[in-house]
Amino acid sequence: MTTLQNSSAPRGAEKEPGQGALRRYIDGVQAVVGMELRQRLRSRGWYIMLGIWFALIWLVTALTWISWKAQSGMGIDPGFGVPGPGPLIFEAVCAFVLLFGLLVAPAFSANAISGDRSAGTLAIMQVTLLRPGQLLWGKFLASWIVSMAFLVVSVPFLVFGIAQGGLGAGYILVALLMLAVQLGVVCALGVGISALANRPLFSIVVTYLAVAALVFGTLIAFGLGAMVSNGTVEANQIYYKGMEQYPEEEQGMYPPVPSRVDITDENDEFACFGPLVEQPATRTDRVAWLLAMNPFVVVADAIPYPDRPDDGRDYYPTGMFQTVSEGARYVQAGPEATYQCAGGKVAPDSIGQQMPFWPLGLGLQMLVTAGLLALGWRALRTPAGRLAKGTRIA
Amino acid sequence: MTENQPPPPDPGRPGLTEPFNGLSATGLARSFGEVHAVVNMDLQAPAGEVTALIGPNGAGKTTLLLMLASLLAPDQGSIRVMGIDPAKDPAAARARIGWMPDTLGVWESLTAREILTTMGRFYHLPKAGIPARVAELLDKVNLAGLADQKARVLSRGQQQRLSLARALLHDPDVLLLDEPASGLDPGSRIALRGILRSLAAEGKAIVVSSHVLAELDEIADGAVFVNQGRTVLRQSVDQAAAQGRRYAITSLDPAALAASLATLGVEFAPGAGRRDSVLASIGSETEAAELLRGLVAAGVPVSSFGPATGALEESYLSMEVEQP
Repeated sequence: MTTLQNSSAPRGAEKEPGQGALRRYIDGVQAVVGMELRQRLRSRGWYIMLGIWFALIWLVTALTWISWKAQSGMGIDPGFGVPGPGPLIFEAVCAFVLLFGLLVAPAFSANAISGDRSAGTLAIMQVTLLRPGQLLWGKFLASWIVSMAFLVVSVPFLVFGIAQGGLGAGYILVALLMLAVQLGVVCALGVGISALANRPLFSIVVTYLAVAALVFGTLIAFGLGAMVSNGTVEANQIYYKGMEQYPEEEQGMYPPVPSRVDITDENDEFACFGPLVEQPATRTDRVAWLLAMNPFVVVADAIPYPDRPDDGRDYYPTGMFQTVSEGARYVQAGPEATYQCAGGKVAPDSIGQQMPFWPLGLGLQMLVTAGLLALGWRALRTPAGRLAKGTRIA
Repeated sequence: MTENQPPPPDPGRPGLTEPFNGLSATGLARSFGEVHAVVNMDLQAPAGEVTALIGPNGAGKTTLLLMLASLLAPDQGSIRVMGIDPAKDPAAARARIGWMPDTLGVWESLTAREILTTMGRFYHLPKAGIPARVAELLDKVNLAGLADQKARVLSRGQQQRLSLARALLHDPDVLLLDEPASGLDPGSRIALRGILRSLAAEGKAIVVSSHVLAELDEIADGAVFVNQGRTVLRQSVDQAAAQGRRYAITSLDPAALAASLATLGVEFAPGAGRRDSVLASIGSETEAAELLRGLVAAGVPVSSFGPATGALEESYLSMEVEQP
């Protein structure tokens, strides 16, 4: 903050150097947050939404519980040996909270600034010593805090899921943290868009479209991207050892057993042999970043799961989140790691947990969000230079 | 400050010499795409005076005020708020500017007291002093009884007064008021007049835009007339009053009045009003006094004698003629 030359009359900005400037910055942010929260807490719609939310999650939990009961009662093993309904309920509630959180968060953030603009109150704030950054921070924090309330309401159900056994309490913390971060991303997106838009309706619609782009757009883009990401991978020949068991007379239909010197790598099932040649493969690793931005992938990937036991079974109890996470890491690893006999190596059954995928996704989400907020900050600077057509300042 | 202020000096080169004590704007221009809202405007609002900003709808008054309030950057020209350039140091300028927009802009679910308290924090007023300052201003604008009502339930005039309190909260040196009197009841108008005069007496520079010209005659020391994005006239109210204008004269005996006026050599025309009055063009207030004395001396039963239009209204009407 710049200093003032003249301090004859009592006025707003007293001279305060260095540290005081930071405290004043934070105080301004707090004032915005306080103002926003007061307004939100006084609207009845908020409480109604919270009630509906509670009822919905209760319903999801109950239905998940009932369906598990029904299936285990019929003697069907629903989760390939899941010990109890705990993980199922936990994952269902997590996924549901994320889904509804993504739908609710724009309602609290996407009209934050455009609403003030259309009510004529934005200019009144801009003409004070409040700076654009303080305004954005305050609006963002307030909308985030409000959407946190929805997470808090869902905690009992997560605890219920954990209490059914099968998972540690640490899962709740990781899950809540990641859900909170994802809601934060959506809130920041909404605030950034609302700073750019002139009318609340427009910014709300655009924010919902942005959320849809994150949830569905990333899947579609990944799918389309994978189709055009044709590349090659260096691999040699595969030999399936099961063929050795076939009777003599059928042997002619199958390739001969490779000689031992040609084999570059083998396990119980496969052997790789012969020279490396370029083989066509889909380079999913080039477009995996699109998938990474999906909020469900981020949350699923961040929640830990146990390593697959190496006991020779084909099926393991895997939850929904583990499946999503493993799938995402599989496409990210690309053909080098997953194509059979790529580089002369037998591909492992599962690629293990070597690299978490979610930091990439979260990083990209934050990059997009930061970009939008930066544009929003520019739009809030005064004295305003160029204005969008039809803008009325006050 | 004296009431007989000479007309504002020609906008020289503010900033180069002694900084102008008050608000000064020189050669402002601002366009929005193809629309040239402000083409060339000058405005000097000296400290201790109320300066009226007068012009027809669409003349660029609000755009000018937005530029003066440091919300809008001018394409050309410069602004000095007590010597500070808001383009270079907006924070320092804003600490000295109080702005009351023509839109009400209240947070409907907050109370008047909460709005003012939050504003105090936005202005970084010392926290301990905010409640007292807020109470003082609520008192000043006569909203103390409604302080804890949601702004939604306030009437337009009450919201207008809240808006004024907000503009005054941080004790600014320069006040920019866009249509402050619109929506106010007569009592509040008189109170507003009193508040503005006392603020001017405290040495603040006040700019008021309004269409109620008769009101401005009472409050303003000087006036700036704008039309089609340009400053067309700068005039002190005393100058405006000194210029010729029409007086409405009514007599119990219209025939005697007409005869007397003809004898005294005063041009007159029948009035447009409902009452049986005549309009006489009179060059100055001195001449008006002489005419009245003459009429009374001639035995004409004069029942009313007064300016038919306000001083600023006369200027405004003549300006419109000059600017078709």
